[in-house]
Amino acid sequence: MPVYYKWTSVPKQKERHDYPSLDISNHPLKVEVLNMKLGANKSFIESLQKWSSPFEELDPLLRFEQLNVENDIGPVENNENTINYPKVWNAKRTGILNKYTTGEKLTIVSSFLPGGEKTLLRQVSNLNEKVKHRLEQLDDFDESSVRKTMGLSQQEFVTKIHMLDDEIKKAWDTEQRVKAFKIAIQCSKLLSDINVMQFYPSKFVLISDVLRNFGALVYDRLKKKSFGNADIKLQDIDSSTVPESARETCQNWMFKMASIRELLPRLYMEMSLLKCYAFISKSEIKPTIERLTRMIRGIGNPLVAIYVRVYLCNVASNLFGKESECYFNDNLKEFLEEYQQIFSQNMAKKFGTQLLTADQYLSLYIPAIDWLLYGTLNYTECKHTLLEDMLQKCETTENSELLLCCCVCAFDSTNVIKKSTALLEIIRNQSDHMVLLSQVLASVGEHLCHAENYCQLPSEALSQISWKIATNMKSTASFLQVLEPWLQFACTQLSTQHINMILRGTIRYMIKCGKPAEDYCLQIHSVIKRMLKSIPDVEEVFLMDAFMPLVELVQSSNARTIMAKTVLTIFFERYNSVQIEDHIVISSLMRLCCILHDSINAVTVEDENKACAELINKFIHAVSYQDDLEQQLNFYVECRSAFIKLDAVLIALVHAVNALAARADMSQGRWLQRACAAYCFVTVPSLQCPLTKAQLYLLGGQVALLNCCIGQAETNLKTLVGLIPEIPQFVQEDGQNKPTHDKVVGLLSNFLSTLLILPDNMDSNSKAYILSGFIKTMERIHWRKTDPLYYTLLLRTLDLLCQMTQETYAYHIDGVLSNDELYGSEEEFIETIENHATNICQELLVVLKSLGDAKETKKQYNLALELFWRIVRRGKLQETSMTSLATNLWALAQKIQDSNNKFARALLSVLEKDQSAACRRLLDKINLC
Amino acid sequence: MSASLTINLKRASKVYHEGEIIAGVVVVDTSTDLRHEGLTLTMEGSVNLQLSSKNTGIFDAFSNSIRPINLINTAIELASAGKIPVGVTEIPFEMPLVSRPNAVGPGLLETYHGVFVNVMYTLKCGMKRSFLNKPLNTSCQFFVQYKPQERAPPKPVRCEITPATLRAAGGGTRANMPAFQLYAEVDSTVCALDAPLTGKIRVDECSAPIKSIELQLVRLETCGHSEGYSKDATEIQNIQVGEGDVCRGRDIPLHMVLPRLFTCPTTATPHFKIEFELNIAVIFEDDYLVTENFPILLLRSR
Repeated sequence: MPVYYKWTSVPKQKERHDYPSLDISNHPLKVEVLNMKLGANKSFIESLQKWSSPFEELDPLLRFEQLNVENDIGPVENNENTINYPKVWNAKRTGILNKYTTGEKLTIVSSFLPGGEKTLLRQVSNLNEKVKHRLEQLDDFDESSVRKTMGLSQQEFVTKIHMLDDEIKKAWDTEQRVKAFKIAIQCSKLLSDINVMQFYPSKFVLISDVLRNFGALVYDRLKKKSFGNADIKLQDIDSSTVPESARETCQNWMFKMASIRELLPRLYMEMSLLKCYAFISKSEIKPTIERLTRMIRGIGNPLVAIYVRVYLCNVASNLFGKESECYFNDNLKEFLEEYQQIFSQNMAKKFGTQLLTADQYLSLYIPAIDWLLYGTLNYTECKHTLLEDMLQKCETTENSELLLCCCVCAFDSTNVIKKSTALLEIIRNQSDHMVLLSQVLASVGEHLCHAENYCQLPSEALSQISWKIATNMKSTASFLQVLEPWLQFACTQLSTQHINMILRGTIRYMIKCGKPAEDYCLQIHSVIKRMLKSIPDVEEVFLMDAFMPLVELVQSSNARTIMAKTVLTIFFERYNSVQIEDHIVISSLMRLCCILHDSINAVTVEDENKACAELINKFIHAVSYQDDLEQQLNFYVECRSAFIKLDAVLIALVHAVNALAARADMSQGRWLQRACAAYCFVTVPSLQCPLTKAQLYLLGGQVALLNCCIGQAETNLKTLVGLIPEIPQFVQEDGQNKPTHDKVVGLLSNFLSTLLILPDNMDSNSKAYILSGFIKTMERIHWRKTDPLYYTLLLRTLDLLCQMTQETYAYHIDGVLSNDELYGSEEEFIETIENHATNICQELLVVLKSLGDAKETKKQYNLALELFWRIVRRGKLQETSMTSLATNLWALAQKIQDSNNKFARALLSVLEKDQSAACRRLLDKINLC
Repeated sequence: MSASLTINLKRASKVYHEGEIIAGVVVVDTSTDLRHEGLTLTMEGSVNLQLSSKNTGIFDAFSNSIRPINLINTAIELASAGKIPVGVTEIPFEMPLVSRPNAVGPGLLETYHGVFVNVMYTLKCGMKRSFLNKPLNTSCQFFVQYKPQERAPPKPVRCEITPATLRAAGGGTRANMPAFQLYAEVDSTVCALDAPLTGKIRVDECSAPIKSIELQLVRLETCGHSEGYSKDATEIQNIQVGEGDVCRGRDIPLHMVLPRLFTCPTTATPHFKIEFELNIAVIFEDDYLVTENFPILLLRSR
């Protein structure tokens, strides 16, 4: 086997392939601009979720919660028209627990909890002192004496309540029914304690659960006693079929309950046991509910009273569903009769000593009134009349703000919108002393936001009135709370001028209020968010002169960044057209992007960078100066200087500039293209990742070549060659190390194809200057010989070299004089090329050997055949050295693996078809070995 | 070797009217065969009177309990001497509830548990056994009620309570009594025992905060005869109808379920009387108490 094989490429004689072709009007790879609108986006996500939902495993905690709900509601049939009250209440219940919390210390009084100091409750009683004393002494011996545990935190309190719940169940299961009853009574007694008022609604929710559980225990036992384990629904219980013993037990419970001394526990217990009346006489339940409704009047404390009403309505709705709505109505009426109790001196003193503000105090009533109103609304046929009645009541009674607030929240938008003028009138009249003013006004605003465009609304007047009321508010937080919905209303209903006026007014208010805007940063943020989301044409916001100052009202850099980010995000979500042309909009967006960019520093996390870069890129892509390409380039220059910290943005800029260069018209001369090329060439070095740099250099070179800027192309490609050693084996991507292998192969293959058309620099004295440089670099880098990257590139280079010897190259760029025409197959040039080819061929043989040494037989086999194939197709087989090399390679391949291999067989079959003499000869030789 | 004796009445409520037949079973549960000398069932009913220490004179001081008045006392033999096999044996029985022909008063009285007067009915079952074994005994209470009468026409009463009415009634009034005006109404002073007592109370005006409004059921028991008797009022139950400073000018319903056993129809016999009263009490924040008293007549009616 000769050690040295001289490579000779065969010049293809004007061999033209007629490939099937068809005329097309646009480029198949042209980027289709897809404008994903927010709406479309959403529905897409939704449909995704719809499809994926069956596969999704529910969060285990959530699943428990849902199971719970399902269990509770279980037997209630869900008809289309009826409302599932337990379900609705459950939702509200969670809301209450989350809203009404406290850091104050709580007290629990019970005889069934361990610990706590022993105290005796002094009951309201007119027993004479002597008897009382004796009883007290007796109590001391009684193990179930009442203990008071003080200083409980909220969490501890909740735990204790749950303990009591468990205690009831435990006592019940161990046949200690009276004990269970006693614990339940004690629980309900806790509800008469209104210390730490702000926790009261939550306390109510917790304790009402305990009581409901207790009621269920009694009911289930009676049911079992009456009907055994048969699953009988409440509706189907016929009291005449109940056996006497069960009825007797039930009666006993009722007598026991009726003799509870205190009113509140008696009411709560009777409500809890209400269901059980079914065992005595079902017809008694409804009159009992009515009686209880009236008896609640005896509760002097309005807060305690209204929650008793809520419990009554809950119990009723559990029993009767739709039919219970009249009780909601009754209870609401009762409540309205006692409405003034809420504002009594006594209560004012109480919440005053607990350091609650008036609006905090009133807000304790809101969930209860809401619930009563909710049922009443479903009860009432004509909601409009009801609202009118309510409003009239609001107008005539004192302190009507609480009622007003709840009404506005509870009624549906259509009705509220109809009465909006009247509502605002009432609010204006009472605005001076309303403590819930901002809530009321804000919720009216929320309703108005739902107004359809075609509604004949005196929008302007409404807006003005509310604005007047709002600006008179003392608290900035309330002002902003009100502003949010009303600004949305203005956005949907009023002209840009109006909105601008409101914005200006807001800035004025914020400056005048004398408090630092930083404190209200979150609220301003949500105001602006709302506005951007609701304004019909999002571009318009930048045309208002007050918008940008408002955005930048909060000066702290953190707040500004968040604001800028939000504005940009929403803007691009909602922006309809592909391009932004308006100069004002562009400069505003530019400013926001700058804010965003300036916020980035060394400690910013990568995700944050990515998000910022994405937004800025969107901006860069959207800006268009149409045919004014120079302006466009200037813009890119400006962007580069502004966003220098973000690599992703620079990359986008380079791409944009390349696109611009490709778009440029030759007729205006080449200065723009050169400028673009220079831009890219100058920008790329500031990037971090060598691989990206290399890609951009290649792209820059290609674009320059396309624009016939040969000098620029050459520089770019030359720099690329110089950069190759720096490309690392792995790059960080999404926090993972990814091999650059495939990318490098792709990139360099692309590079080699470009080299084919790059004309040689006539000033340099070496032929195929860049290519030679590339080959030298390849040698210089100490790649592992067995690395597929290495030998694939060698093969590709070999391909290029073969192609370069052709008289006419496979492709050209118009206006670029490639080497084929430049040298016209000059001998010296061909010789240089073939020299290179020989060297590379030699190198490949070395690789083959080292693959063999490394026992990489499969790779070795493939490489041998690849090289063999190149000799057959591209080499001059007439030359003996080529033929013998080919034969040797085939022999090597055969030695490793037989010719039945697919690849080898394919090669062989092609070879057999070839009629040329050289091929025949080669075939003969192959068959010999 | 153990045996137990229980009486199970057929009627779960254990409530019987005069003339009815009390039916049930005596259950003997034994782990071995049980030899006995006879099983008897006795029905007893009596009024127990007790004089309160407050009212008894020095002469009666040594014995403040009067001999109980027997209302009914009948006995039947359930089984003659013999053997009861191992396991659960149920011996059914029936006994007519009729008063002694020569009884005092109109006949049987309703069961009533009071402080000084108690009307009780019991069934006692006894098993006599051989010399070495203790006799087995068990008892079971049952309740007697009058047959319901026609419902009497309601007799509503209403009253107003102001500082002036209190003064007129000669009650102890305070110097600085708060100004108040209360209105109370009881739907009927003639009440059926199994229906709740109802009415309403309204605080029209009250300058001091109210702590509680309560309804107190009181029994008046009179024992003895013409020479010496005791009369005592004690509380049966106290029910709160208003808690805290209630809303002014609103009718607050009064509603009291009369407790069983502790109430009975208003009764008057030569030896004792049981009467009932209702107190409405309004307690102010400073524990000052204003009460109004209503005598009521309780009836067993439909």
